[in-house]
Amino acid sequence: MNTTTRRLVGAGAAAATALGLAACGSGEAEGGDTTGAASGPVTIEVWGWNAETGVQIADAFNAAQDDVQVEYVLQASNTATQTNFRNVMTTQQGIPCLVQGFAPLTTMVVNGWAQDVTDVVTASEGLYNEGALAAAKVADRYYGVPTGSDGQFLIVNTATFEQNGVEIPTTWDEFLDAGRVLKTAGVDITNLAGEDPSTLLNLAQQAGAEWFAIDGDSWTVDFLDDATLEGAEVVQQLIDEDLVSNQTYQDKPALYSYFDSGKMASTTTQWWSLTGYQTNFAQSAGSWRAVQIPQFADATTPVTPGRATASFVPQGCENPEAVMAFVDWQTTAEGIEAGRNAETAAVGFPVQIPDPSPYVEEVVPEGFFVDATEAGDVIVEAQGAAIGKFELGPNYDSWFPELQDQWGKAVAGQITVEQALENVQEFVVGDLESKGISYTVAD
Amino acid sequence: MSTRSTTSADVRPSRERGARQASPPALNRQARWRTLQNLKGASLSLPFLAGFALFSIVPIVMALRESAYAARSSGGLGFGDKTVEFVGLDNLARAVVDTTFWSGMGRVALYAVVLVPLTQVVSLAMALVLDAARRKVAARFRVALLLPYMVPGIVATMVWIYLYSPTVGPLHSFFEMLGLDANFYSSEMVWVSIGNLALWGAIGFNMLILYGALQSVPHEIFEAARIDGASELRIALSIKVPFVRGSLVLTTLLSIIGTLQIFNEPLLFRAISPETITKDFTPALMIYNQAFQVGNVNYATALSIVLAVVIGIASAVLYRISSRSES
Repeated sequence: MNTTTRRLVGAGAAAATALGLAACGSGEAEGGDTTGAASGPVTIEVWGWNAETGVQIADAFNAAQDDVQVEYVLQASNTATQTNFRNVMTTQQGIPCLVQGFAPLTTMVVNGWAQDVTDVVTASEGLYNEGALAAAKVADRYYGVPTGSDGQFLIVNTATFEQNGVEIPTTWDEFLDAGRVLKTAGVDITNLAGEDPSTLLNLAQQAGAEWFAIDGDSWTVDFLDDATLEGAEVVQQLIDEDLVSNQTYQDKPALYSYFDSGKMASTTTQWWSLTGYQTNFAQSAGSWRAVQIPQFADATTPVTPGRATASFVPQGCENPEAVMAFVDWQTTAEGIEAGRNAETAAVGFPVQIPDPSPYVEEVVPEGFFVDATEAGDVIVEAQGAAIGKFELGPNYDSWFPELQDQWGKAVAGQITVEQALENVQEFVVGDLESKGISYTVAD
Repeated sequence: MSTRSTTSADVRPSRERGARQASPPALNRQARWRTLQNLKGASLSLPFLAGFALFSIVPIVMALRESAYAARSSGGLGFGDKTVEFVGLDNLARAVVDTTFWSGMGRVALYAVVLVPLTQVVSLAMALVLDAARRKVAARFRVALLLPYMVPGIVATMVWIYLYSPTVGPLHSFFEMLGLDANFYSSEMVWVSIGNLALWGAIGFNMLILYGALQSVPHEIFEAARIDGASELRIALSIKVPFVRGSLVLTTLLSIIGTLQIFNEPLLFRAISPETITKDFTPALMIYNQAFQVGNVNYATALSIVLAVVIGIASAVLYRISSRSES
């Protein structure tokens, strides 16, 4: 290296060092300011993937009071949150104080990620509905914050039903009968996507199934209880008699065009899908009617399937009371109003409070239903009857992909739904065995 | 080297005297100076070595370490902390006898046996055609053929999912016009759909490498062959192809490595054909499921190591075959 080069390198190094020290210096000055105000508000970090209104809700909360400052860290998606959170818990650096539920609550408890927040939640129980409280519990302790579930209801294409002279079903038996009549006219009663086992989960939950139960210090595993088999029977008949279509959610344009065509008579849905339907159903908009989801014949009271993935307070957060203050504030009129989407002018439907009826008008899209008021009533009713909790066990992350595989085979007709459930149970048992978790299989 | 020693001899006459006298200290100085020059040259590759060490070697070592541990539940309901204990080669042993993993490996191996030669033949044919064309024409087509390769994998898959759609895509109606009922979403056609997509993406890159190699073939040989009466096709097959042999081995190698790790396409096609594409359909899908869904990073790294070894063996075998037949 000649002299000129050496001088240049030396100058460069000096400049870099100077810049580095300057940055350090200004950082310390800032740090000095905040440490001076340490006795001020508690700052909590909240993670979620609500791109539309997450930050504005946090800002409104910060403006509304002085005790807690919320920093909303927007995540790219559900899966991104899962990856980022896993990393944070491994490094134990920068653990947030509230995380939107990206996986079932029991998984969070099993991984040692969720904090027991029974003390702070019990004080606020009155603000939430039964389903929201149930969803936050594992083994009778609150490990998550009350999170409302989206009550399922049925939307029917009245034009298709009237054309074929079929009554709108109120029970699953009637649903199957309606399907048989519609089939003769070349219409499917509903869509059954091969990649999405939530239909089976919904039916099982509605029938009162309990796939995992806690018995002292051990799990009781039962994927084949009477309730589940009742639900499986409904699905089996739909598949065997070819009463359904099998459009995939991966091909959204095809799915929407099919839903809109009049060839599909009904679908179960929840409040947040309605806007998407309204935008994409050019043909059938205005002919849809919302009705309560069909019930099982032996049901004593109407129940609605709905499972919430509860948000939780991670282990390592030192301010669960501050978190609860933020969560509670979102049940107030002010909090709900803060979630108004600036673009669509719609408010996020408050599914966690006991009576969401003042807000239901906002979520019923215009020009989609035959009777918008009736639709609103159905939505509120569905929320009121939402079960909220369905125990998914300590190894959900392992067995859910297996359920997806088995469900795909069952929908394609390669195996029966009961066989699929047997295979999943076998997988669950093997997995619990290898993980050293105590379990018994119910008879 | 010879130039350098002449220059150094000019600059340092004493060295030449030293050499003539063959005295040990002068020879040592010469050796040291040469080593220094070599090191200075080698230091130019330091940035690459640093990057390679940080982003390849270190993660591999970390993966090896991860695979030697396992997380055990505290028993009972499984709540609470897991203990991480050292299990040595247990995870690797489990990976080696894992039938699900090996059936996935068998699937991609069979797929590779069909797709890799097909890709190479098509890319070579494209490269030869481009070479035979005039410069300007070739330049335009080159860009067009490279475009599919430039499209990111996931985006390409989603575009093709639309194209394949029996309801809204154009291909289904096109084949219907020809009298064929081609449902690209059905489970029988899954490998065809994926293979077509992979071929479409890979042609550009392979063709570019082979075309570049073809440019370096000396033209006098073609003239001589033409004078001797050989047809263009004969020239292509007997002269051009053997000349690009080295590049062909390279592209085949890269193709094998890529095909055995196929991931994007099965991941997105899983929703379309869930009864065929299960969570463990290919080795890469299984590793992804274990690492990011199930959360068992220890077993996932063990599986990755086995996959890497298999790919390494396949590459070594190919290399051995090609160099043996060359000699």
